[in-house]
Amino acid sequence: MQAAGPEEAGLEREEAGEVARLISYAAILAVSIFLFFDARGLPTSRWEVLGAGAFPQLVFGLLSALSGLAIVGSLRKLSLAGASGFAAAAAGWLRRRYLVPVIAACFGGYLLAIPQVGFSVATFVFLLATQLVLAPRRWTSFLLALVVALLFSFGLNALFAEVFNVFLPRGA
Amino acid sequence: MLDAFLSGSGQVFAPDTLLYMLLGSIAGIVAAAIPGFTVTMAIVLTLPLTFAMDPLQGIAVMLAVYVGGYTGGLISAALLGIPGTPSAVATTFDAFPMARAGEPGRALSLGIWASFFGTVLSTVVLVLAAPPLALFAVRLGPWEYFSLIVFALTIVASLVGRSVLRGLIAGAIGLAISTVGPDPIMGRPRFDFGIEMLAPGLSFLIVLIGIFAISQLLSEVEDARSVRSGIALSTKDIEFRTWAVMREVLMRPVNLVRSSVVGVLVGALPGAGGSIANLIAYDQAKRGSKTPEKFGSGTPEGVVASEAGNSATAGGGLIPMISLGIPGSAVDAILMASLMVHGISVGPRLILDNADLVYGMFVAMVVSSFMMLLVCVVSMRAFLRVTEIPKWLIVPAVIVCCVVGSYALNNRVTDLYLLGFIGLAGYALRALDYPLAPLVLGVILGPIAETNLRRALMTDADWSLFLTRPVSLLLLIAAALSIAWVLWKHRKTTKNGEVSSP
Repeated sequence: MQAAGPEEAGLEREEAGEVARLISYAAILAVSIFLFFDARGLPTSRWEVLGAGAFPQLVFGLLSALSGLAIVGSLRKLSLAGASGFAAAAAGWLRRRYLVPVIAACFGGYLLAIPQVGFSVATFVFLLATQLVLAPRRWTSFLLALVVALLFSFGLNALFAEVFNVFLPRGA
Repeated sequence: MLDAFLSGSGQVFAPDTLLYMLLGSIAGIVAAAIPGFTVTMAIVLTLPLTFAMDPLQGIAVMLAVYVGGYTGGLISAALLGIPGTPSAVATTFDAFPMARAGEPGRALSLGIWASFFGTVLSTVVLVLAAPPLALFAVRLGPWEYFSLIVFALTIVASLVGRSVLRGLIAGAIGLAISTVGPDPIMGRPRFDFGIEMLAPGLSFLIVLIGIFAISQLLSEVEDARSVRSGIALSTKDIEFRTWAVMREVLMRPVNLVRSSVVGVLVGALPGAGGSIANLIAYDQAKRGSKTPEKFGSGTPEGVVASEAGNSATAGGGLIPMISLGIPGSAVDAILMASLMVHGISVGPRLILDNADLVYGMFVAMVVSSFMMLLVCVVSMRAFLRVTEIPKWLIVPAVIVCCVVGSYALNNRVTDLYLLGFIGLAGYALRALDYPLAPLVLGVILGPIAETNLRRALMTDADWSLFLTRPVSLLLLIAAALSIAWVLWKHRKTTKNGEVSSP
């Protein structure tokens, strides 16, 4: 199989991006239609013409119309061939940015750990882990990461407690 | 007025406020000097530190970060050719060639002085324009206010990003986010689906930190190679020639004033901040120059135009925020939110009810620009090292700062989960090329729009008043025209593309 040239690859990426946007428009349309009907159930008031649900209906109605228009525009731009290559292009996109899901997962774990083990410990582990994932493999990097992790976990906790009287979570 | 001015000045010139402002100025310059880190992120990170301060002290510190941030972007623009912030894009056009031609110190000093004069000139316009506009605005009814917000959102959507439709969708998503939680008139719960996290509504500041900071930080780690390396920079031979360059900047009064005026006007438009102003000011300076062919090769005219233009948006953006309660940019929205955190309602009555605060802000703007100048002149050489800090060290530490800031707002762990969700959603929107500024402005303008719409119809149930009251009609026509203009421009560009393509 002949490899695609840079121009062709760029075009494929552009088409894959449009498919991703089309999916996002469809998701926005579905959510806004659901919330539009949900807002109709919100109570009205005898004191005013509009109730609590009127403004949300206006907003979700507008959002539905805009995303509908965007879907039409997107469908006109897309070709069947471009759409069929979407899965491979999306996987390639994600592979090139492999650090993003890694850091996002670390971040999610960190947020869940804060109420359990407290801010200082959770932050120390998160910082050390993410910096070691991101840093070049050198002893100086490891030492620097250790210092920054200590400073921004236990140090930041002490700063907020002593100076700003804000007490960060201490854990269960 | 004099009382308020003296009271505001007294608070700004208090030693502790000046010290915090100095630290803020340094933080702003440092943050914006790091390529990829914007002024908005610097302000977002400063915000939680100001919760414990008095309102004016807090806002003065944030203004110091703001003014410092606009200058910090210049460092990497001039020395590396990478704009530290989007507002320094045009600075790279001439400051970088000048630096490469052996005059990096001159390029930096030109930018610093142009930024200083740009900020001071924009503050003068702010002082002159905001009070009379506020006096006019207090006479506006809820009909005009609702129409004003419609206009503001359409302008934001049409100015930011590559697609007006995605801009409008982003603005509408912002409005939709603002409808979660108790409604602003009767306090009835909406769209919480029994989830504790959603019951109090989605806090504007959490949305802001998630959308701007977390999503930006995630996008900073996209390229594994750039994350692992810092940028080495030789700073030994840089000669700044500060005072000679000051004269050089002042010898270009027309360019300086024109670029500052462009900055003020662009800054005053909702959504159009320094990132647009620097390009327009540069373009205008090129058109007005006797030697336009020198632009792009390292002419001082280009550096002055770009830096005066982007710095002047600071004062310009505060005009609609102070006089109308409509933020001119995401940064102004954060400043507005910080006042709201302190229980100060922002709107046309701000200047009438809290005159000392507003005059204090004017004074703080001028003090901030002097502070930025002082800090840059005294310790510019040290700031140059900032560009060498690798991202692997900064990104995780800044994520932690975002977490602390979000928690400190309400001391709620559920806010942290919200931050996580919104951060990921923000990254997805950023990756899909949705502009984020309209979304953030939508969140802050949503409750104001809803309150005014419902108040208008409580006063008089007649919908046609939106079209028959002259100011309201004018604003709605302006909103329709801004959309029509963008559509026309888009069609013209598409047609030209079709003609030129083979």
